[in-house]
Amino acid sequence: MKNKNTAAAVVIAAAAVILLSSIAAVVISRRKPAGSTVEIISDGKVICTLDLSSEPDREITVEYKGRKNIIAIENGDIYMKEAECPDHTCMKTGRLSEAGVPIVCLPNHLIIRYKNGGGDTDAAA
Amino acid sequence: MTAACIFMGGCSGGNGYFDEPVSKSDFLMDTYMTVTVYNGSSSAPEKALSRAGELEKKWSVTDSSSEIYAADHSGGKPVTLSEDTADLVSFALSMNEKTDGALDISLYPVLREWGFTTGEYRVPEDSRITELLESVGCEKLSLDGRDITVPDGMSIDLGSVGKGRAGDEMIKTLKENGVTSAMLDLGGNIQLLGSKPDGSDFRIAVRHPSGEGNLAKVEVSDCAVITSGGYERFFEQDGNIYWHILDPKTGCPAHSGVVSATVIGKSGTLCDALSTSLFVMGTERAADLWRASDDFDYILVTDDGRAVITEGIENSFTLYDEFSSMTVEVVRREK
Repeated sequence: MKNKNTAAAVVIAAAAVILLSSIAAVVISRRKPAGSTVEIISDGKVICTLDLSSEPDREITVEYKGRKNIIAIENGDIYMKEAECPDHTCMKTGRLSEAGVPIVCLPNHLIIRYKNGGGDTDAAA
Repeated sequence: MTAACIFMGGCSGGNGYFDEPVSKSDFLMDTYMTVTVYNGSSSAPEKALSRAGELEKKWSVTDSSSEIYAADHSGGKPVTLSEDTADLVSFALSMNEKTDGALDISLYPVLREWGFTTGEYRVPEDSRITELLESVGCEKLSLDGRDITVPDGMSIDLGSVGKGRAGDEMIKTLKENGVTSAMLDLGGNIQLLGSKPDGSDFRIAVRHPSGEGNLAKVEVSDCAVITSGGYERFFEQDGNIYWHILDPKTGCPAHSGVVSATVIGKSGTLCDALSTSLFVMGTERAADLWRASDDFDYILVTDDGRAVITEGIENSFTLYDEFSSMTVEVVRREK
């Protein structure tokens, strides 16, 4: 069950993404080559879909319960640049790799992953 | 708990498989779980996640209503566990013996002292570790049927086996709901039911020990593929890296020469337990245990850059091109 605070957090997060990614709508509407489409999921909702093959360098800020994560896109790579969480496991994951391993910030319920798994595998262990 | 429901289709084709797989995710057991089914009931993923949620409530170390919390805060009095919990504790105790102490569910106070349970990392004083290790050891626990006694001052947690058992239980739930082809991704623990809809094997990448990118892939069906690696949780202090897999004998991060251990087998519970154990045990003891068993295979990556694999997985294991010069040693039944 989603409470009002959580719903508000998702709305704020979505608004932040829209504000900070002025060209997102253009990117989303483009035809994307298989395997390079990345989803940003905040608290279970897909808030952003990106084609890394044509995405310009920029940063995206996502907020969850007042805590911020800054996602960076650089030269077609995506990674967690900053995270207001205790362990920073998401930052240590490094750049999103093409085969299955998502970037996960558990405390802030934030996931960055390839939409269709990416690469030539179904998952990564 | 918020369930993230990402339906990618769901209409059943003429062959009994969905046109597009049905997938559902949730934050459970301190990880992000995704269940993907290719046939059966489209509500099966939700039911599987709900089974994992039930088990999390029983096994959480921090939830004051859990069975493990009750056992850990019993002041040394017996606590009656549910069958789910008693079975898993009993399995973990048997694995403690089988691995000569490499898997130890009573190590929790030491793990907490290092900050691996909270993210507030620190290197404890040697004297503090010595003191805490006095209250560690599965032989001090007693399980009589479903009654467990955790002596005062000790704590147990099922973190090293819980996700694997949850995966096995989720697969059971999927089967009860008509699913014969599915993939569970429990935060890097992969559990597979059957093969892919076209009958081919699933292709599962094995992560590089650095945590960035993948080292190899295995092509397998109807089994669990579970990796323990230092990259999963670690911190750096004064130029040293400290990871979360501790050697129960020293109370410090395990340095057996193994930097990543992937275990493949039918039982997710066993693979989960062994991925931690083999990381602690190192290549020689791992090979001895494998030769004495018939229910798993493994891929160990060593700190000197070798991949040590067992012969059962030899034909389904492929290194990625950028690592093709890596030495691969195959462990065989006959030395």
